[in-house]
Amino acid sequence: MLPEATGSWTKGEARHLLNRAGFGGSPEDVVKFHALGREKAVEFLLMPEERIETFPLPKWADLAVAMEEVGDAMAERMKMRREMRDMTPAEAEKAKKMAGKEQRMEQRRHAIEAQGWWFRRMLVTKAPLREKMTLFWHDHFATSVQKVKQPVLMMNQNELFREHATGNFRELTQKVVRDPAMMLYLDTQRSSKENPNENFAREVMELFTLGEGNYTEEDVKEAARAFTGYRLNRLNGDVTQSRNAWDGGEKSIFGNTGKFNGTDVVKLIFKKERCAEFMAEKLWEYFAYENPSTEAVKALGKTLRDADYEIAPVLREIFLSKEFYGEKAVGTQIKCPVQYLVQMLKEMEMNEPPIGFPIYGQAQLGQVLFMPPNVAGWDWGKAWVNTNTLLTRYNLAGNLTKGSFDEGMGGGKMRQAFRDRMKNRGGKTGAEPVFSEIANVVVRNDTEALVDGLIARFISLPIPEKARQSFLEYAESKKGISFTDKELGELCHLMMSTPYYQLC
Amino acid sequence: MKTRRDFLRSAVLGASASWTLPGFVDRTFAELGEAARDRSVQISTGKDDTILVVLQMAGGNDGLNTLVPFGDDAYRKARPKIGKREKDLIKLADGIGLNGAMPFLGSLFKEGQLGVVQGVGYPNPNRSHFVSTSIWETADTNNRSNTGWLGRYFDNACEGIDPTVGISFNKSTPEAFGAMRNPGVSLSSPELYRWIHGGGEKAQAEEFFSELNQPMAPDDEEPVAGGSIDMPAGGKVGAVVGESNLDFLERVALDAQVSSKKILEVASKHKTSVQYDGTTIARNLNLVSRMIAGGMATRVYYVSHGGFDTHTGQVNSHDRLLGQLDSALKSFFTDLRQQGNEKRVVLMTFSEFGRRVTENASGGTDHGKASCMFVAGGGVKGGMYGNYPSLTELSQGDLNHTVDFRKVYADLLGGWLKAPGVERILGGKYEGIGMV
Repeated sequence: MLPEATGSWTKGEARHLLNRAGFGGSPEDVVKFHALGREKAVEFLLMPEERIETFPLPKWADLAVAMEEVGDAMAERMKMRREMRDMTPAEAEKAKKMAGKEQRMEQRRHAIEAQGWWFRRMLVTKAPLREKMTLFWHDHFATSVQKVKQPVLMMNQNELFREHATGNFRELTQKVVRDPAMMLYLDTQRSSKENPNENFAREVMELFTLGEGNYTEEDVKEAARAFTGYRLNRLNGDVTQSRNAWDGGEKSIFGNTGKFNGTDVVKLIFKKERCAEFMAEKLWEYFAYENPSTEAVKALGKTLRDADYEIAPVLREIFLSKEFYGEKAVGTQIKCPVQYLVQMLKEMEMNEPPIGFPIYGQAQLGQVLFMPPNVAGWDWGKAWVNTNTLLTRYNLAGNLTKGSFDEGMGGGKMRQAFRDRMKNRGGKTGAEPVFSEIANVVVRNDTEALVDGLIARFISLPIPEKARQSFLEYAESKKGISFTDKELGELCHLMMSTPYYQLC
Repeated sequence: MKTRRDFLRSAVLGASASWTLPGFVDRTFAELGEAARDRSVQISTGKDDTILVVLQMAGGNDGLNTLVPFGDDAYRKARPKIGKREKDLIKLADGIGLNGAMPFLGSLFKEGQLGVVQGVGYPNPNRSHFVSTSIWETADTNNRSNTGWLGRYFDNACEGIDPTVGISFNKSTPEAFGAMRNPGVSLSSPELYRWIHGGGEKAQAEEFFSELNQPMAPDDEEPVAGGSIDMPAGGKVGAVVGESNLDFLERVALDAQVSSKKILEVASKHKTSVQYDGTTIARNLNLVSRMIAGGMATRVYYVSHGGFDTHTGQVNSHDRLLGQLDSALKSFFTDLRQQGNEKRVVLMTFSEFGRRVTENASGGTDHGKASCMFVAGGGVKGGMYGNYPSLTELSQGDLNHTVDFRKVYADLLGGWLKAPGVERILGGKYEGIGMV
């Protein structure tokens, strides 16, 4: 057990927990969360009242509907093939291309819709930890729609992660072995006895459960044989292990010998002590800070093993630990782009993003939902920030706060598309910050109160007095007769255009 | 309340540090350059220095179908479905041909401007994408190094040059740029590479911005100037072990300021008449050529071309990727010739590993070991280097390497970039293979 947090539960601690276990919130959100008390706040996160079904999936993401469509598409292709017999080869080629193009366009539309759907859910959910853990699993069992192609499979995988958000790690891993999106992503779909594909077997051990150096090349080869023969029925989404394609022979993995299949391999992996510590360490790093002490990892690993790989007890221990609220943890994490975007909207009192903002922001900052760069997921922490992404963050903030209106939206097609859409809506991007809630008339007349209020709203760590003075001077110079929304927006933008704002 | 004047006086670097006038920073670099003259470091003017472009083929390029040993029976046997035939290839040497999707590289070879390294790899190869990429980028086969081979070059040989010594056109900083002091910069679109402030009194807002994005010391201490010059950066993503996230962010913020003005200026200067494709790799090579034409003092550019992890149905996808690369390189080198810069630039390709000799059941190939590299440009001694590995004496079904990749690095660092202390940069003594 990690030493528990004792003493008073401060508003700062409540804010820290809400930042890390969720996506932050407005000052009012923090006050409400704080009022629960430490233990109730943690339970609120772990046992949310909000049901998963509160946010229904888009209709196209219903597996039954999608499979019907796959069936229709196949019938369509058969029909086309018949028709093509009467066409010249050039015409036939063109018809084939057109049909493919239409399908790709629709898939693209659905992928974009999925990205927006999940982003909005993160923004308005009353079960923030569930979404934060869904993001964790999405990164951990990284799968990209770019290769999988079918957004419906990505959405169903997303729901799988959500259902198991704080559930059992081993059960989830077993489900992932048979998850259609993962099968397509790591090529298990076509792996057979004659020619086992090592991709999945390797990543299961290296990235999902044990980490490099805790298995041998032989283990990978043998496990690859066990993972052969899994087949996805594209018509109903069922996954089975084909008797013919599965290598039913004896395998030797971690010194155990038997006629293992994929399920057996996962069981063998989860018997290794390293597996629990691997996951415990990753969870701590996701929620608290990088490079925890060996003792902390051992303690959390033991909790995970004792709980038979249930995740919730580990999270409870983290969120109630003294170390989680210590100096090393509070205000030290570089926000990942999704956190940065969602939290910024909450802090600007918005429960709806402007049109195009989530997709554009994700793409520019380097974290597009459903499109992790590779099977290792995203690189976290300092890797989010370089000169380019830092300037882009500043400019996105300018765009949202209206500190620089649409100038920050970049060049090329994206910007044009964004402008066109705005034009269609009479120049409105949809949602806007609610400046009256950010600072009321009274506060706007007291520069110092205004600045301190905004610092408290936006910045999660103590900042040097010099920086505060800088904000004050700027506010003073902007003030004029009174603070309009425009000037307030510019002040918000300046505060967000700092290194401090990148941390939570 | 302090007056504006007082405020400016107390500002970290004084009025000269404003966003639009990074005069202080320029001066600092000039002074450092002066100081460095006596030591064995390089001063870059941006006009006549040699330039290295590193091009990553991410995912593990199938060397056997890129540089094809068509004369070898073992090749045809191992790849009945996806194997290339002689008629589809551009013949480079006896029994060895270049994938037909790369006609431009074929013509460069004939002109003697393409070096082809066969069987390149390293001892005890690792088949994980991530580990093997790290090994190539850090040039440390133990995968323990916190810095990259190019970052160590910046640190050791380019003291006094600002962060634009290395520019990566990637969203994330490549591990190869990881440095103790100067990890270069990353950017994807020069037009947006600046702080955009829409309100009135622009210059004034920018002064505040500029100050807030300097490293700020605790209140009673004098702040440190010159971000990446004085403060240790480093680490795989540009930070030393122990550097706090806040220190790291402050340093990046200053680097962004310093490099932004320059890059904007340069990017707007040069317009090319050469047509580039719409692919990411073509677009990024176009940016590189604009930076070179604009006279940036940058010594190393880094670009990536991804998608080479061809486990399934690789015939079409692999040829398409190589074709995109070839077409982008054609535009790039044509552009450089028009600028008169073709003699200053060498481009090197690399990939984390090659692929298994035997094709798999899915019409693709699994992770392998040794592969090939291309080194192209006016300053290259064209030809074949190293020996094609045997297709029958394999290690776990994979090719054994005949050339250590660090020998190629040694050529490029010592022979091409004229870096002092190559041994220190590479962490060992590696004889070059005489490509430049």
